[in-house]
Amino acid sequence: MTSALIEVKSASRTFGSFTALAPIDLAISSGEFVAIVGPNGAGKTTLVNLLTGLLRPSTGSVTFKGQDVSRLGPVRLARMGMARGFQLVTVFPELTVAETIAVAAFSRLGRAHHWFSSAHSDGDINGRVARVADAFGLTDRLEQPARLLAQGEKKLLDVASAFALEPEVILLDEPTSGVSTADKHAIMQTLVIASEKMGVKAVVLIEHDMDLVATYAGRIVGLHAGRVIADRPKNDFFTDAEVVAMVVGRPPKGFH
Amino acid sequence: MPAPSTTEAARRNRNLCAIGGGVLLVAVLALLPGVASPYTLTMILPVFAYAIALLGLNLLFGTSGLLSFGHALFLAIGAYAAAVMTGHWGVKSLELVLLGGIAAAVVVAIPVGFLSVRYTRIFFGMLTLSFGMLFHSFLIKFYNVTGGDTGMSVKRVRLLGLDLSHLSRVEFQTGPLYYYALVLVIAATLLMWRIVQSPFGLHLRAQRDNARKAEYLGVRVHAFRLAAFVLSAAYGAVAGVLLAVRSGNADPELAYWTHSGELVFMTVLGGFASFVGPLVGAFAFIFLRDWLMGMTEFWRLAMGGILVLVVIFVPRGLAGLAADATTRLRNQFDLRSRR
Amino acid sequence: MAAFAEIVLGGLFHAAVLFLVAAGLQLVFGVQKIVNLACGAFYALGAYVGASAAKWAIGVGLPTPLVLVVVLLAGLACAVIGPPLERVLRTVYDRDESFQLLLTFAFLLMFQDLFRIGWGANPQTTGSLFLSFGTLDLGLFKTPAYNVFVIAVAITVAAGLGWFLQRTNFGRLLRATAENRAMAEAVGVNARAMFSVVFTLGVALGTVGGALVVPASAASLDMAAELVVEAFAVVVIGGLGSISGALAGAVIVGLVRAAAIVFYAEAELLAIYAIVIAVLILRPAGLFGKEAV
Repeated sequence: MTSALIEVKSASRTFGSFTALAPIDLAISSGEFVAIVGPNGAGKTTLVNLLTGLLRPSTGSVTFKGQDVSRLGPVRLARMGMARGFQLVTVFPELTVAETIAVAAFSRLGRAHHWFSSAHSDGDINGRVARVADAFGLTDRLEQPARLLAQGEKKLLDVASAFALEPEVILLDEPTSGVSTADKHAIMQTLVIASEKMGVKAVVLIEHDMDLVATYAGRIVGLHAGRVIADRPKNDFFTDAEVVAMVVGRPPKGFH
Repeated sequence: MPAPSTTEAARRNRNLCAIGGGVLLVAVLALLPGVASPYTLTMILPVFAYAIALLGLNLLFGTSGLLSFGHALFLAIGAYAAAVMTGHWGVKSLELVLLGGIAAAVVVAIPVGFLSVRYTRIFFGMLTLSFGMLFHSFLIKFYNVTGGDTGMSVKRVRLLGLDLSHLSRVEFQTGPLYYYALVLVIAATLLMWRIVQSPFGLHLRAQRDNARKAEYLGVRVHAFRLAAFVLSAAYGAVAGVLLAVRSGNADPELAYWTHSGELVFMTVLGGFASFVGPLVGAFAFIFLRDWLMGMTEFWRLAMGGILVLVVIFVPRGLAGLAADATTRLRNQFDLRSRR
Repeated sequence: MAAFAEIVLGGLFHAAVLFLVAAGLQLVFGVQKIVNLACGAFYALGAYVGASAAKWAIGVGLPTPLVLVVVLLAGLACAVIGPPLERVLRTVYDRDESFQLLLTFAFLLMFQDLFRIGWGANPQTTGSLFLSFGTLDLGLFKTPAYNVFVIAVAITVAAGLGWFLQRTNFGRLLRATAENRAMAEAVGVNARAMFSVVFTLGVALGTVGGALVVPASAASLDMAAELVVEAFAVVVIGGLGSISGALAGAVIVGLVRAAAIVFYAEAELLAIYAIVIAVLILRPAGLFGKEAV
């Protein structure tokens, strides 16, 4: 059985007369760590928004475990095991770190509609919150409101809350943007370790930093001007100078 | 791990403080009939009623981030349900009237909420205002059913099956009805306390802060907003029943949008971040208005001026002001004891 | 046929006044992102001041057309309250919009008592001014000439506003500020001054609307709160922030109201809200709105 978790069949997206994404095919299976790369405006975020049902494809289809993503909606997707982080920092400003992670944990356990139990004294939830916070190094911050966190910590919290859903697939849109290079590697390592610990089957990552991509991804999808110009295992990708140049956004040396 | 245990202790400490303060407040209110004048006591009845309504409004505004400018609709529904049940159907029991009012409010709140909770912020406010005014115009125009602008009368009710018709109006209101309403306020507060602290309350706060992010964490944003809306409507109906039983009348002005504005006024006056806010806000509003009405014919001008000052200078309300003061006191105390 | 034309003209008269107030509401919302609950108070203020101005003008014996000019100028002059009120509102621009809404609600409460202080509880009318315009014979039917005049004024204002927003430099800056305030400030727009001007313009649209309506009806204490409700229906139908939306919404509300009064008076407001709800289900952002939140 090698059936894909996410399957994209000639899906495209246009905004008015502008084609953000030409029809593409893509399949992401269990065990993969896929990086989506390309210059600004190549259609990376559009692709992730299609994969997570935030945008409806103009043509073609996107399925998760065989079901049409745009019909499922984010809540059902979360229940079925898909989680996403956002490019811009998105946390709940007034919720503490522990509460933010607990939001996802309650969804995961299907206990959100418990109206009369205390959200703070649920042992299962507190255990999960502690585990996730530990994995992301947020244990010291548990009782802090998210708005008081440093920028990098907010990013981590965004990703951590997605992990607390214990998803099978996680999609991350530049989880390291706006973070120093040293921190970038720390975040990525945390991510990889957390994925293994929590049984995440596949990771889809949008990333600008080729160094990070080369270190962590197994497979790379290169986008340029709304088209897939390469979809290869990491090693085959970086040996093709022309492709690398296009996704980095400047012509390779000696090309003129 | 020392960090969680200290915060756990802090939380327990805070809860103990809140419980202590609550018990003290209840004791004062329970002993009040022995000392206060009947006039003051009959004024406190609407304070209780409004406090219940504001608890519901707080769930919507404070917890869920949805500001309703049409919440008076549900007070009116409670009041008219009381009028219809006691007047036309001959129901005597206040418990049944309360259940009837809640049921009516829920039936109306489900479709109204379904349409309104797709929006947030100003759009939600305008939509709820529209629905409130729709009901108001129904009350005014369909004279045969509703009594038009004179409203409908509400008959004396039995409390817990006790026939109290031998009591005078004032005796009834300052005695049995006063305690009945006080118990309702306590029950409503405890229930709301549980709800806000529950996972349901947590998900409501999450969607308030960031609805899109919440959705991708599996929060059922629209369904939970609707649930909060219906709950707050039920609280509004309980308040409406109490107001109507006290005044003996269900009046269409209860549904008018400026009444909704007054509810929001009370909410902000009391402070929407705390559980004493509703009681404080309702108390301050009603006694302030009464005092101003006694002083000047132009009390609305004065109330408007006070609202301007509260909005600009005391945005966290009187309860927020008190919380700041106690924090400052405690800090000073801590400093002194450390020396 | 004649009855139909009467409904249409009556509806358009009401629509004309509603449009003026709603356009003020839309302008202020478009630029300042504040929904102004006090718009009804401005309208009532225009009506009260207009009524007094008319009485004075008739008293000193001015001819009818000049009385009208005086009434309109009086309405326009009421806009002087704009800048000081905007100054108070400025304290809450960066707060949650519930506080902005409450502050304008407070204005409304205060104005209602100011009217009571200034003019008492009795409605104020302009006496026979309305009748002195006579009726206009349009062949199939007759209509009060004053109504036609008001409709003409509203059309002129609508056209002028369109020209102002689309063709003048200030109008372009105004639209840019509405679109993206930070961007506009970055290219040198003085947002503070802009807000003050826009708010005053919004006030002026309301007060002129009130001054225009008073000869045909009366200035009363309820009119402020009542108008807010209708103006809200107009902007919800038309789409929040859109001037064209205000025009379309006002025409729809005006005509529906006129028709309901003739056919089934009980349904007057109910019919308007039926449309509001239908629009929200079918086109949540309103007919001309960009997108709902």
